[in-house]
Amino acid sequence: MNRSFVSGPRFLFVVAVVVLCFSAVFSRLLYLHVLDGEKLSRIVQDNRKSFQVINARRGNIVDSRGELLATTHEVYRVGVDPQSLKPEDFEKIPTLAALLRVPESKVRSAFETRMRTVNSEDGEVLRDIRWAKLADGVARDTLEKVRDLGIKGVYGNPEYKRIYPNTSMAAHVIGFVNLEGTAVTGVETTMDFYLKGQDGWRDGERDGLRRQLSQFNHREVAPRSGLNVELSLDMVIQHYVEEEIEAIVEEYQPGGVTIIVSEPATGYVLALANYPTYNPNVFWKSPVDAHRNRAVTDIYEPGSTFKIVPAAGAMQEGLAYPDEEFDCGEAVALYNGREVKLPSDHHHYDILSLEEIVVKSSNRGAALLGMRLGDERLHDYSQDFGFGERTGLGLPGEVNGILHDPRNWDGLTISRLPMGHAISATPIQVHMAMATVANRGVLMQPQVVRRLFDEKGNTAVSFDPVARRRVISSDTAGTLANMLEMVCRPGGTATEASLPGYQVAGKTGTTQMIIDGRYSRQHHVASFSGFFPASSPKLVITIVVEDAQLPGKAYGGVVAAPSFKRLAYECANYLGIQPVGNLSMTTTEGR
Amino acid sequence: MTSLSQTIKRLGLQRVITLSDEHRSDWLSPVSMLLLGMIGVFFIYSAQSYSGGSSWKMQIVWMVLGFGAYSVISLINYKFFLENAHLFYWFGIMLLLPLAIQANVPGLKLPFVESRFGATRWLDFGPFSLQPSEVAKLTTLLMASSVLARSEIGTLKESIKVLLKVGFTFFIPVFLIFLEPDLGSSLVFAPMAFALLYVSNLSEKFFLSVFGLFLVGTLIIGVDIYRYQTFMEEQGLSFTEDKGAYEDQSLIPLKDYQRNRILGFVAPQVVDPAGNGVAWNRNQSLIAVSSGGLYGKGPGEGTQARLGYLPPTVAPNDFIFSVLAEESGFMGGIIVLFLYAVLLINGVRIAGLARDRFGMLLAIGVSVIFMVHIFVNIGMTIGLMPITGLPLPFLSYGGSFVLSCCVLQGFVQSVYRFRKDFS
Repeated sequence: MNRSFVSGPRFLFVVAVVVLCFSAVFSRLLYLHVLDGEKLSRIVQDNRKSFQVINARRGNIVDSRGELLATTHEVYRVGVDPQSLKPEDFEKIPTLAALLRVPESKVRSAFETRMRTVNSEDGEVLRDIRWAKLADGVARDTLEKVRDLGIKGVYGNPEYKRIYPNTSMAAHVIGFVNLEGTAVTGVETTMDFYLKGQDGWRDGERDGLRRQLSQFNHREVAPRSGLNVELSLDMVIQHYVEEEIEAIVEEYQPGGVTIIVSEPATGYVLALANYPTYNPNVFWKSPVDAHRNRAVTDIYEPGSTFKIVPAAGAMQEGLAYPDEEFDCGEAVALYNGREVKLPSDHHHYDILSLEEIVVKSSNRGAALLGMRLGDERLHDYSQDFGFGERTGLGLPGEVNGILHDPRNWDGLTISRLPMGHAISATPIQVHMAMATVANRGVLMQPQVVRRLFDEKGNTAVSFDPVARRRVISSDTAGTLANMLEMVCRPGGTATEASLPGYQVAGKTGTTQMIIDGRYSRQHHVASFSGFFPASSPKLVITIVVEDAQLPGKAYGGVVAAPSFKRLAYECANYLGIQPVGNLSMTTTEGR
Repeated sequence: MTSLSQTIKRLGLQRVITLSDEHRSDWLSPVSMLLLGMIGVFFIYSAQSYSGGSSWKMQIVWMVLGFGAYSVISLINYKFFLENAHLFYWFGIMLLLPLAIQANVPGLKLPFVESRFGATRWLDFGPFSLQPSEVAKLTTLLMASSVLARSEIGTLKESIKVLLKVGFTFFIPVFLIFLEPDLGSSLVFAPMAFALLYVSNLSEKFFLSVFGLFLVGTLIIGVDIYRYQTFMEEQGLSFTEDKGAYEDQSLIPLKDYQRNRILGFVAPQVVDPAGNGVAWNRNQSLIAVSSGGLYGKGPGEGTQARLGYLPPTVAPNDFIFSVLAEESGFMGGIIVLFLYAVLLINGVRIAGLARDRFGMLLAIGVSVIFMVHIFVNIGMTIGLMPITGLPLPFLSYGGSFVLSCCVLQGFVQSVYRFRKDFS
């Protein structure tokens, strides 16, 4: 026996080293697997699981003749998966950057960054980057050129871009979709539910090179395209209207203009435009102010156009007859046992018939008619004509307007409300009140959408005309229509609106704008609301011009009425409305 | 084994293969090896199941050949290796020489010598390749053990001549392997040398001073790495792209890519903030291991390797443990560790049983080599060690390595079978 044994302590030391190494590995494994495992296995899941949303194509918006107003183009969002790049791909960076029109440095940094720190519920964790965006809105042919470069990690995902081919035409009706794909205003918003369709999705797994592993594809649901919307608008009439607005703007440099054209019998709006307007393709370039659809969001005192309400009410209730005479010479009248100061007229009138009150637009006469009706009935007729409540046009942002309850009226209200003061209304409310007269006394619900249809053109939902209520009898309406026709004849306030042979009927309105809580003498709202032909109305047109710049007072008969005439002329030619001759005189005289 | 020895007796082969008197054999090691080998084949299959590849079939062939070699070595009395150690040793050196030459003489191409990825580590013989560093590992162990077995070692002064001899024995192969270059493989030699010296009862002073030197060396490298980092950051250079910028001012002859590896281990976020390069394999391996959980994701369900997050080039060999840990979890890892523990403790036990110095040294040397491989490899997959290319015995794919592991275990079996017993 020699010293060939390992000595006891040294042998133990060797064993101890072995045991030590094993315990180190053991405890590390224990930590990673058991204590830390859940967190890291979640990272694995996240790296591998893929949930893809397949966007549905948004439906088109067309006008009543099928002209495309809003559509969706497929473009591509190009990005890179840095994990699947090969060394030779880096040489292609300059070409790629030039194709995508992005700086080379941006592409390079996207290529080189393969992991990033993410804040998760477990604090900061490193995660693989599987997608870094390089460019947005890339056209298909550019994408194909990018594909030809043969960089496996660079690819495009389809995304949709909303296009409005007619730029600012009917912008306030159509509205727009913002860059995040959310509908912001107009029909885009109200019909969003139908337009957007149903997104599909795909649930799958990917490998380290980001290949879809089809064998792991669990579920896939195909997207369903949105329905298309057919508006009641007619782009030809819309075009006339917008040209007319341009003419008004050029002549008077107003603060705002609204023109509405609709069919009295159906309530379908054929054209609606405002100034200022915007281009929905580049909506961010216009001030938010221009996005406002003034036809439904802005209120003004309707002024004389409102006189149709007390006149119609008094006749409907049998409290006054068309040829009944009123003394408009007195400045004070007795009402409910007290004396009420009456508003003055521009000219002094003595005795005026009801018809003359309407034709000459006498404030005093209107006040007397209102007093005949009394607080409650004047209020109720105002409400029945649609004032103080939304018309239900179906465009966002519509307001109620202001019609005070009789309990809140002060002593002057009964004399001021009949002439369209002490009330605020939107242009669409005034328009619909006039349309009620044109529609033989029935208030319709205005609508801008005629129907929804699918890709094959089959109607999915039809929006038929909706009658809201009968406000006045057909006879009363006819009588009033004849009076309104006289308004546009020589001796009336709106001779400028008259179009020979077309029995134009309508009412002007001129009110002082309320600026800082006071009536302004310099700023006026000039309006005209009318229809034609009076015996069988085909179109109602309302023109509201806010703060027109001209020497003297901006009367509705001066600023707005001529526009009516021009529009009526163009529309009559376009729609083939036949002149009816001068029959209205006999009708009026016959009564 | 018993039946095999009876067969040999019956055939009258005693003159060629000396059988031990008691026909004793150790069963623990071969059973562990067999189990580990099977586990290895399975997970190599699993690692390649998606990306494609049939390395598992080759691995079966290598395992079969390996067990053949194991049996043959087991039947040879280890005294034979003691007597012929120098022949084996020089044979191993001869295999290394052409590699070292081709790697360092530009433009030279020697027959059978193959260069891949800037390193010359393989001899290519057509149908199979051989890694001479694996052979050198065996032969150097034999040579060192035989030198130490023949010498008296006592105090430091007495044994200075032996130390020089042993040092020289190790220096030649390590130097040649270093020239290839193959830092990972040369790593195994140092622990082997020290372990052999330690169990040869070399004075503790020696080890203390070596340990001191090691500390000083570590300190110097540490300072150098720190200066490297400061330099690169001050100059605003990229660790991955501006390799070589610091090399001129360095005090020690390290390459910047080696510095990156060390720095990448100590502070991965500095070298590789995005986790793309140096830290990639390590991160993905850590994710693989820990996502396994207690019981793993189940065989064939691991996604890190199959889906290529663990690069397919390393998954079946250097990072096989990650694949195993992901799919079989903590439990699988523990089973493998247990099998390795059996193999190692059994080796040390057999070393203790040996009653002559060569047998003891041989068994210890084998166990140390295994220890280094196991600890460094598993350590790197679980973030305890820097990334080096040391494979995992019996699990990693690789012919030369499987064979050399089997031969090494064959030495241990031979020691067990042919040891002298006290009565």
